[in-house]
Amino acid sequence: MEPALRAGDWIVVSTLSRAPRVGEIVLVRDPRDGENVMLKRVAAVADGACTVLGDCPEGSTDSRTFGQVPLANVLGRAIFRYGPIGRIGWLW
Amino acid sequence: MFLTRLLKPTVTASAHCDLPCGVYDPEQARIEAESCYKIIEKYNASSDEQFKTRAIVIKEERAELAKHHIDVLWSDYFKPEHVQKYPEITELCWKAAKQCSKVKGSLDLAEAKTLLDMIDKIADVWTKAGGPQATRVAKLAAARA
Repeated sequence: MEPALRAGDWIVVSTLSRAPRVGEIVLVRDPRDGENVMLKRVAAVADGACTVLGDCPEGSTDSRTFGQVPLANVLGRAIFRYGPIGRIGWLW
Repeated sequence: MFLTRLLKPTVTASAHCDLPCGVYDPEQARIEAESCYKIIEKYNASSDEQFKTRAIVIKEERAELAKHHIDVLWSDYFKPEHVQKYPEITELCWKAAKQCSKVKGSLDLAEAKTLLDMIDKIADVWTKAGGPQATRVAKLAAARA
């Protein structure tokens, strides 16, 4: 998800009271491994599921690999980065 | 320090990107598909039940690997600009991946041959899209030539 997110960023994720919107960074449960959660960008939302893509299309493991993610597996939306200090800021 | 510990996130999410090695070649899928072809030949020529059972298991494994290599080519190597220039690639990869499933469950040599032909068509596009130069490391002989 570089450059938007980097390894080690501290992120505040808010629960969603509505369907995610295209362009938002969401926290999703990995459909292949429920233990794993991932931050990806929403590319499309349709029929109770969303397509998520990484920002690095060449190297990302995303909906192209694991398919659409049911909305039930979208845990929240990344809204704010509170660390590291130099990278503090809103994520929209 | 206490504050840092307090603020430290409790859940780790991955947002990582795989590190792509950048080497993509349909030959990888073809070799697995050739294995399927040869295994079916050997299966048909054998009357040893144990051998035949093993042949089926190995063929299924190889067909799955061929499918994996096709999927990787399609999702990682072919870029939107390739698809724009060679729109047939999406269907070629999609059909070839499906053909892998067919070969996985079949002992029909013709199905394995169809898969080989499909992979060759993908390889044609890969070559036209500059695959050999873009993704492979030159062999010694080629480097000398």
